[in-house]
Amino acid sequence: MTTLLYTTCLGLFCMLAEVLNLRKLLIPAVILGLSAIFVVNMQQWGITTPASIGSVSLSHMVKMDNFAIAFSGLAIVISILIFVLAANYYKDDQNHISDYLSIMVFVLCGALVMFSYNNMAMLFLGIEILSISLYIMAGSRRFDTRSNESGMKYFLMGAFASGFLLFGIALIYGASGTFELEGITKYIAAGEVAPMFYLGVTLLLFAMLFKVSAVPFHFWSPDVYEGAPALITAFMSTLVKVAAFAALYRLFSHCLGGTMYYVEPLLIIVTGATIIVGNVTALSQINVKRILAYSGIAHAGYMLLGVLSSQTNAASSVFFYAAAYAIATVGLFALAIMTFKSNFSENVDAFNGLAKKNPVAAALISIFMLSLAGIPPFAGFLGKYYIFSEAIRNGYVTLTLFAVINSIIAVYYYLKVIIAMYSQPANDKPMVVHPTYMVVAIICAAATIGLTLVPDMLMQILK
Amino acid sequence: MSLYLFLTLAILTIISALAVVFSKNPMYSVLWLIVCFFTIAGHYVLLNAQFLAIVHLIVYAGAIMVLFLFVVMLLNLNADTEPHKSNLSKIASAIAAGLFFVVLIASIRATALGEFNLPNKTNIGFVEEVGKKLFTDFLLPFEISSVLFLSAMIGSVLLAKKEKK
Repeated sequence: MTTLLYTTCLGLFCMLAEVLNLRKLLIPAVILGLSAIFVVNMQQWGITTPASIGSVSLSHMVKMDNFAIAFSGLAIVISILIFVLAANYYKDDQNHISDYLSIMVFVLCGALVMFSYNNMAMLFLGIEILSISLYIMAGSRRFDTRSNESGMKYFLMGAFASGFLLFGIALIYGASGTFELEGITKYIAAGEVAPMFYLGVTLLLFAMLFKVSAVPFHFWSPDVYEGAPALITAFMSTLVKVAAFAALYRLFSHCLGGTMYYVEPLLIIVTGATIIVGNVTALSQINVKRILAYSGIAHAGYMLLGVLSSQTNAASSVFFYAAAYAIATVGLFALAIMTFKSNFSENVDAFNGLAKKNPVAAALISIFMLSLAGIPPFAGFLGKYYIFSEAIRNGYVTLTLFAVINSIIAVYYYLKVIIAMYSQPANDKPMVVHPTYMVVAIICAAATIGLTLVPDMLMQILK
Repeated sequence: MSLYLFLTLAILTIISALAVVFSKNPMYSVLWLIVCFFTIAGHYVLLNAQFLAIVHLIVYAGAIMVLFLFVVMLLNLNADTEPHKSNLSKIASAIAAGLFFVVLIASIRATALGEFNLPNKTNIGFVEEVGKKLFTDFLLPFEISSVLFLSAMIGSVLLAKKEKK
């Protein structure tokens, strides 16, 4: 609750900083503020005081349990890394910097609501705050038609999905008479579940699957990722994906667990389709942002395995996987943005001969790619290992085998970039290195390796 | 009495909603949509939700419809510029939407609505009651939605402001 409050205040500060002419100090201030919020967030660990404002109890609206705190912490760390990148990325766009930053902080606010919601109304608001801010950010390059297309497409599709979400919530409310997660759990446990309720659950699930870009609701994702400014693409493929997954997981672990037998066949089909469509389509892409979009779809499939296992508390596995995926992706984008800018191209051939021009960057990119592909000794491997073992423990052996085979296919497109870096001749465009990008990439690489050293600690936190 | 009122409103709602979809001219669609919104506001009044009815009229029939009309006029939609979908996608979407409609009707029909204990108050949909609810039980969503509007506001300024050269 305090996390959310302070983050909102930080967003307001960013907005007003323009009036106070504090643009130069803005990014350091935001990073400092977010670090403080991270500390405040972590101090609530294990404390289960119900949320309230003054004497008004809010415990039926938000619940800051350890699940919410862990994911909030992860989201804040990702945001800090992205804001460090923003310092250089928006260097030439100082006029709008405070608008951009405040909207991005508001995206974080939406994500925080999605981690801690205890009420369908809050879920809806969280998703809307997150999405509406993102529609704007995706279209924020006003004079770039691809950015316009990206924002417009995301907005139209997202508004449609929000319609499904609302309709689903309305039907669930109509059947159970409550918005509260505990109330709905009780309604399911009571046994007399109305057919209308199941329809509501299905629609709600559709909307959530859209937000995590699972097949067949994934069509927006490659186009939106490609058109949006690269930094926003990084933001979308890390923070937003983590937020959507945490919300979906929370929905099933805290509320709709009793309907799992009903959604299970649907979820299994969607998981299988997401994994294979994501991986196979990524093979033929040449634009790096699109490759990462399809790889994000495939990773959504793996994380759906975690959602399928939600009834045996797979929260730690999902958290580990999300952390490993998000950190590797942020690091990858940090270096990719640098490469895109130096080469004026976002295709794989922009990476040609990078190993000769900048061996450090090439080595870091290789680490992130291998981590995403799930190759030991990086965090991505352990993440996959935990998710898969969780799924096998729940009896999804065939689906897990299918996922393993697909993650072998995935190695091909991750290696495509590595091969371009190491065995293609370098082009004559010099690599413009900026220290902030390198710092973020090195931190992410350290985390990618560091996460594998303390897996037991991370696996125990959400038990 | 209220049954006849309901039936009249319901039939009007359905007719106007169909007219929105079937009108060839987008301008007529928008005008029919206004009729549709008014009849839905009528339903709200019948359900004793006066506040909602007024807000619905002000926001939808007032603000949003004016926006729609402007957009339709500015876009200059006519038959030539309208994108044509292939028959296959038309049939596919008709089947999908039709199936969804059948499932929706069937599931709502099969639901035996429980006995809801409606509070025995006549002023339940008045501003006062809505306000009390908003500032007690729904205080947090009410306050948090301000973040949503703020973000949308900054965004619209960001996207629409004239660029200084």
